[in-house]
Amino acid sequence: MGFDFVEPVIFAVLAVGVIGAGAAVVLLNRITASALLMALSFLCMAGMFVLLGAETIAAFQVLIYVGAITVLIIFGVQFTKQGGDRSYALFFQKQYPIAAALVAAVAIPVVLFAFSFNAPAPQPGGGDIRPLATSVFTDFAFAFEVASVLLLAAMVGAIVLTQRDERVEAARRRR
Amino acid sequence: MTVPLSFYVAVSAGLFFIGCAGVLTRRNAVVILMCVELMLNAANLALVAFSRRFGAVDERGSVFVIFVFVIAAAEVAVGLAIVLSAYRNRPVIDVDEIHQMKG
Amino acid sequence: MPVGPFGLDPLVWAPLRLVIAVALALFLVLNGALLQIYLERKIQAIIQDRLGPYHVGPFGLLQTFADAIKLIAKEDVRARATDGWFFVAAPALVFCPMLASWLVLPFAKDIVGADLNIGLLYLVTLGSMTVLGIVIAGWASNNKYALVGGLRSAGQLISYEIPQILALVSVALVVGSLSMIDITRSQPGPLVNVLVLPFSFLIYFIAALAETNRTPFDLPEAESELVAGWLTEYSGMRWGTMLALSEYGNVTVVSSIVTTLWFGGWQGPGVDALPLLGVLWFTLKVYGVIVVMMWIRATLPRLRIDQLMSFCWLGLIPMALLNILVVAVLALAFPDTKIPIAIASWLLVLAFIAGVPFVQRRRLALLRARASASAVRAAS
Repeated sequence: MGFDFVEPVIFAVLAVGVIGAGAAVVLLNRITASALLMALSFLCMAGMFVLLGAETIAAFQVLIYVGAITVLIIFGVQFTKQGGDRSYALFFQKQYPIAAALVAAVAIPVVLFAFSFNAPAPQPGGGDIRPLATSVFTDFAFAFEVASVLLLAAMVGAIVLTQRDERVEAARRRR
Repeated sequence: MTVPLSFYVAVSAGLFFIGCAGVLTRRNAVVILMCVELMLNAANLALVAFSRRFGAVDERGSVFVIFVFVIAAAEVAVGLAIVLSAYRNRPVIDVDEIHQMKG
Repeated sequence: MPVGPFGLDPLVWAPLRLVIAVALALFLVLNGALLQIYLERKIQAIIQDRLGPYHVGPFGLLQTFADAIKLIAKEDVRARATDGWFFVAAPALVFCPMLASWLVLPFAKDIVGADLNIGLLYLVTLGSMTVLGIVIAGWASNNKYALVGGLRSAGQLISYEIPQILALVSVALVVGSLSMIDITRSQPGPLVNVLVLPFSFLIYFIAALAETNRTPFDLPEAESELVAGWLTEYSGMRWGTMLALSEYGNVTVVSSIVTTLWFGGWQGPGVDALPLLGVLWFTLKVYGVIVVMMWIRATLPRLRIDQLMSFCWLGLIPMALLNILVVAVLALAFPDTKIPIAIASWLLVLAFIAGVPFVQRRRLALLRARASASAVRAAS
């Protein structure tokens, strides 16, 4: 009684948000709208994490995805001129029927299969940051170190890839 | 009445395939990166759902999610760097046009 | 059947509580902004040897009220070429994370919105969401100056998030918890954390000045630069929301974090007897920090964008990393006492203050060498 209806309602709203925003990312023509709706999808996903009881993961999701990756993508959108998509129509391209058939053929059975999972009743507790941190730093310490090296490599790689080569620029200016 | 696990997995599967469809059909490089992020998110949702529902004290699913966050961030950074540096060479963003290495 | 407070049905009390909480937070934000705008103008005036507002109300106290009425009554100008929904949504994207971060600020022993056990992480997360709103505002204005201003501001914000988070992590290392109430409780009496971790305080304070776009880091929004940057096209209450409310709300939140982490939060003489006194101490400490920020604004000149960025990446981040290294090693080596950490931290502060002239002298010499080299090249 009482508040029992709250959780399914919130889940329904968040699920519509996640799937709807995801579909909008794929279908919309305007890229900034796509980027912002992707951020909305991430936010609804964070809500789902909270619903599952993993608040730390939800906080990390918002911090990393909405706070950093969305901003990165919007920077990427603004540094490139986005006229290209207009020369072809968005729909009725050659590859659409094939892609649609493939995806539908795989997606529909998988989604139906997903409905067959049964889990025991969820236990309360857990989702705290302390057991998570203990796991990361003791059981998975090696993976943690590898992940930090990966981030370092990505950072250095991104900087090196986007550095302007001075001689090439000077040659281009002289031309 | 808590939401059964299968619904979370179904949402995850749906989002994954929407992202998949986006990667296969869109031609803008940045949009393809966005759809890849959607797919990674779907995987995260499935991981967290299973981790939290099949045992509250088994944190391995959530730990894996943290590593997936790290990898997704690194991948977007490097992917955008590649797109920007290719854009500097030839100012096109349409992946159908970037085919200098073909043939 | 459980009965909520005031004899209300819990089904009614839960949404009512939510509404009351949001209304209270909004009330605090609005009044805080009013008070801070007045304080800012008065303090700047006093430091600059002039009077400040004195016409409207006694000592000009109602000046901000009058300004707010003017802003609300202003015509809502929206250029036709701006990007529709985004232009309207950007102020909300900037304002809402700030409002949401009032949830975990501990005003007194039992007066806190929600004692999340990830309180600090929550605050950091919301701080990083503001960047999105600013970028969208710059983009949606369809104006070169706004766009560049927005990107510059976003670059500044995401760069300074890093030393901010690192400084907060060092405090969490010493305290052992991310919950704001636990952090306050871990500072018994006058032994506040600023005695233990002054270097973290310094780093966080500087990074927070940059995060809230205050001088000396207010290049993106200064009126003499880039035609007011990313909020060029915003006027009236949109500008009021984005600039006044969000910025001063952010300043209050950041000052609250500083107070909670480094100055003991709500603690002060007399709180054990009368817990509500904690609110008074908390407010006094928060406004003390805010007055220091305004003092800095009236005193220091502005940094250029490249100076700002190189200060962050080449100065603050190495220092923050060094700080974490030192604190972590000492916390592990001497787990029971905080004295080695305190000594090391104060030494780092002294080294920083003493080292600044050396760094400046070396950079000046480098610049002079480069200038004379190019002069020689131009002459030959």
